[in-house]
Amino acid sequence: MGYVRGLKCRECNREYPVDPIYVCEFCFGPLEVVYDYKEIKKALKRRIIERREENLWRYKEMLPIDGEPLVGLKSGFTPLVKADNLAAALGVKELYVKDDTVVHPTLSFKDRVVAVALTKAKEFGFDTVACASTGNLAHSVSAQGAKAGFKRFVFVPASLEQSKIIASLVYEPNLVAVEGNYDEVNRLCSEIANKYRWAFVNINIRPFYAEGSKTLGFEIIEQLGWEAPDNVVVPCASGSLLTKVWKAFKEFREIGLIKSLETKVFAAQATGCSPITYAIKHGSDIIKPVRPNTLAKSLAIGNPADGYYASDIVNKTGGYGEDVSDEEIIDGIRLLARTEGIFAETAGGVTVASARKLIQNGKIGRNEKTVICITGNGLKTQEALAGHMVEVHNIKPNMAAFEEIYKKIDTGQ
Amino acid sequence: MKRRVKLTFPQYLIKEPVIFTMAKKYDVLPNIRRARVTDSVGEMILELEGEEENLDKGIKSLQEQGIDVELIEGDVLQ
Repeated sequence: MGYVRGLKCRECNREYPVDPIYVCEFCFGPLEVVYDYKEIKKALKRRIIERREENLWRYKEMLPIDGEPLVGLKSGFTPLVKADNLAAALGVKELYVKDDTVVHPTLSFKDRVVAVALTKAKEFGFDTVACASTGNLAHSVSAQGAKAGFKRFVFVPASLEQSKIIASLVYEPNLVAVEGNYDEVNRLCSEIANKYRWAFVNINIRPFYAEGSKTLGFEIIEQLGWEAPDNVVVPCASGSLLTKVWKAFKEFREIGLIKSLETKVFAAQATGCSPITYAIKHGSDIIKPVRPNTLAKSLAIGNPADGYYASDIVNKTGGYGEDVSDEEIIDGIRLLARTEGIFAETAGGVTVASARKLIQNGKIGRNEKTVICITGNGLKTQEALAGHMVEVHNIKPNMAAFEEIYKKIDTGQ
Repeated sequence: MKRRVKLTFPQYLIKEPVIFTMAKKYDVLPNIRRARVTDSVGEMILELEGEEENLDKGIKSLQEQGIDVELIEGDVLQ
């Protein structure tokens, strides 16, 4: 038996039962899962969590399921890497990388949300799951849906690169390539979701799906030895991840697993799609939609559903928003790789480069404890780095050729 | 049919009765659920009801005036 009390509208606070619904019938505000924290506080202790398997379900009382976990039994609990080399490069004392380049099974944080969404979809009795995606979400729904025995519909724009299509297609979902621009694909998928009785993970299952992101926040606190960092830097697409990392921190305080919480939350975006950081920088309550034009495709959401809530959290916690150019994104990926040996996708470049700016402009203190969230694996976006790498040393197969090149390398010529 | 949309108004249109004008011209019934206005931008969440063809024309006319029309669920393509 779970601890969910129901769903609640974020705008008007109207309450709803636990159903596959996502928007308030009255004010069209988004719905969010609410829990019985008093009961969770009695049931969930640090020592109980610590005894459990190292996956995202070790916090199952704080997730919106009624029974036992069914999907993603090896997902989550990724490393929190103490990034001393990167810290030195950025000029800060204590820096950690939450490394979601290695989430099982598809190497991005989407495996967390999909694990929760598909478990909930099973509980609701759906036999078909669906999503609209240009990458990470499609991979995860295709893979985890296969393992869980769902029929799967994955919608992608027809213009999507072949490598990203193959990374979904290998799991043999029904992959539908829609001819049209992003707006048209968005609208069609919304209409399909409203017509068919499917678990469309980021539409009618969204309130449950989004809760999976909290596990990233729970893990950060547990892996820091049950304390919250001074700063956390989160990349923003829809803004959902940022709101859920903060919700996770607040929930751990609410149930007494941490005593104090004074974390500042920072948003990172690509300048070519920065509706959230623009609003933060300009003090606006309204998120103006934009047409994305950035290398960081996994963050290219021009009309972010949780943009307002993300910017509100950033403002209320004393954080800030920063955005970076395509060139800075590439530099960020390379910096993380050469200092920490972690190969992040373009969103990770956004986070590293934004963190660097936030440190440089004094928004993040050099003596504070900072966590940056790296949300996907660089093997997925290798094409972004073409033409930006260090040179390859080509030689003939003999020692003289090697000695010659070695001398050049050794002397730095 | 019904469509739930989010409109974002540029500053120069905040004072104009654009919804009323569109509703009358294309026989669309607007039902406003929420709105937020600042000094530089306005946002309105509403339901539009009418014939599909009229809804398409009405929404297009709003876009042509400079209003951004988006899905209330945000971008679902992720």
